[in-house]
Amino acid sequence: MLSLKIAARFLKSSPGQSALIIAGIAVGIATQIFVGSLITSLQADLIDAAVGSSPHITLLPGDSASTVPGTLATTASKSEPLVATAIPVRTLSAIYTSGEDSVPLSITGGDATDLGLIYKLEDRMVSGTYRLSAGEALVGTVFAEKYDVGAGDPLELLLPDGTMAEFTVSGVFDLGQATANERVAFVDAASAADALGIADEEYTAIQIQLTDVFASTEVADRLGNDNDVTAVDWQAENAELLSGLAAQSGSSIMIQVFVLIAVALGIASTLAISAVQKTRQIGILKAIGMGDGAAGRIFAWQAALLGAGGTLGGIALGYGLIWGFSFAPVPFSIRPEPTFIAISAGIGITVALLSSIIPARSTSRLDPIEVIQNG
Amino acid sequence: MADLLVVDAIGKVYGEGSAATRALADVSFTVAEGEFASIVGQSGSGKSTLLNLIGLLDTPTSGQVLFAGENTTALGRRGRARVRNEGLGFVFQFHYLLPEFSVWENLTMPAQIAGRTVSGEERDRALQTLALLGLEGLERKNANQLSGGQKQRVAIGRALMNRPRLILADEPTGNLDTANTEAVYGLFRTINAELGTTFLIVTHDRAVAQQTDRILEVRDGELVQDVRNDYAG
Ligand SMILES: Nc1ncnc2c1ncn2[C@@H]1O[C@H](COP(=O)(O)OP(=O)(O)OP(=O)(O)O)[C@@H](O)[C@H]1O
Ligand SMILES: [Mg+2]
Repeated sequence: MLSLKIAARFLKSSPGQSALIIAGIAVGIATQIFVGSLITSLQADLIDAAVGSSPHITLLPGDSASTVPGTLATTASKSEPLVATAIPVRTLSAIYTSGEDSVPLSITGGDATDLGLIYKLEDRMVSGTYRLSAGEALVGTVFAEKYDVGAGDPLELLLPDGTMAEFTVSGVFDLGQATANERVAFVDAASAADALGIADEEYTAIQIQLTDVFASTEVADRLGNDNDVTAVDWQAENAELLSGLAAQSGSSIMIQVFVLIAVALGIASTLAISAVQKTRQIGILKAIGMGDGAAGRIFAWQAALLGAGGTLGGIALGYGLIWGFSFAPVPFSIRPEPTFIAISAGIGITVALLSSIIPARSTSRLDPIEVIQNG
Repeated sequence: MADLLVVDAIGKVYGEGSAATRALADVSFTVAEGEFASIVGQSGSGKSTLLNLIGLLDTPTSGQVLFAGENTTALGRRGRARVRNEGLGFVFQFHYLLPEFSVWENLTMPAQIAGRTVSGEERDRALQTLALLGLEGLERKNANQLSGGQKQRVAIGRALMNRPRLILADEPTGNLDTANTEAVYGLFRTINAELGTTFLIVTHDRAVAQQTDRILEVRDGELVQDVRNDYAG
């Protein structure tokens, strides 16, 4: 404890130098927290936008079948703990004609409650009601505007088998994506079965969302093999997005590593200077009996105090930056990540301690005679 | 009386090869507990070298030093630090106080290094030492804020704090005026008489040496004279 007391006193005796290095560490740690949280939040937003309201895995009929049984949804939920939602759907393409124009629509038929779980439609309705009773359809905003249809209007569709089917629009949604808002429509499950000419318990796909989106590949593999169906996972279809995210993570880690190196060099050089400045005192302390270990620990403590002070300051500054960023005119917010901050703090203090190794070693090796003889 | 210190044929060579300097050669003598002795000699004769070897601040090239029956030359760094802390007190020409600490903290540093808390008996001893040295009221002051004489007295106080059996002083009054010099030697005598502390004082001042009970003379790294001085005050 004497080492700690002496370390604190040494730091106090040169307040300017101590304050500068604490500020330096604080800026480093704050940068790390800010950049780290920024990238994490940004990626979370991007992933949420990409797959937050669409299936992570789609189970399609295997080679020998043209449909999947509805019970496969329950089977998937039960066998894979990471499955958050699994719903049976019937998908088909249809063509909507309005005067001269005709537009292909990608139609998903299913139970309104089920579809709500995956597509979060309830929160995305802009007009009408979120409801899919028999013969009802939901269309997107772009489609509604372009072809001037709204809630209560009829919707006539040309089905794949050449027949016409008439629906009533019950509401208009906004999926946040122009293509989807023009080309996607939802209808009730029974109408879709009729349109496809399949039985009640038959479906064209099972749509699945997971609690961990990045587990999709392995879960898809298992589900595909175990149930003899074709499992398509979102990662396979979004390779470009994923490699973009990976590159972003990589550069974020690079930035953080360089910041840490700068922090380490800062602490190391300050401690090295301090060790030289205090050589005389160390020599005196050793002459009156301080052991090598205790003398070395003075610098380890100095590093720990600087590291702790700088890290606390850095966390405060980091939160400040994140708070300040909430006023910036950008469409997303940074969420401070407690685990990430705890890791940064741990790294900060570890780096401080590591950078005290050299001065601590030279201090513990110092012979008191070197100081006593040279006055 | 038992020998507190046995200096057994110690020699010291600084440097190596052609740059080697023989600072001390084959010096032997013993000091009994309670003695008040001086080491004299010309500049460069090897006095400080001898004192630093006895004080375990440096290691001899040959020979050995026994302190309180223990062969200190055989000790490792840790053991030597312990003996310096518990058995020895140092006073140098320069005070070597710690400028970041107060008078009180400087005084109690040897006790803290020994791992003792400064309370009760330890505190009383520090207060006594301050009184003995005429430093009452200065304990809160920073070591930097004292006069040269005061600093040297704090350094003497620090040397006394662990009640060492042997105090080694190397030109302790070299930076002081006549009045302060007299006061310091007066103090040494008092401590020697009252606590029975053994003193070994290096000086090149014959007048100072004349006031000690025994005079050892070093010339060119060799002990050339060792006389009792019955005229000392
Ligand atoms: N670190 C060293 N390296 C090389 N030579 C040294 C070293 N220290 C002392 N010497 C040499 O050893 C000899 C004895 O030095 P020492 O300091 O013991 O003399 P001294 O009697 O204390 O002199 P002074 O009265 O001037 O203090 C001198 O010749 C000196 O040059
Ligand atoms: Mg000398």
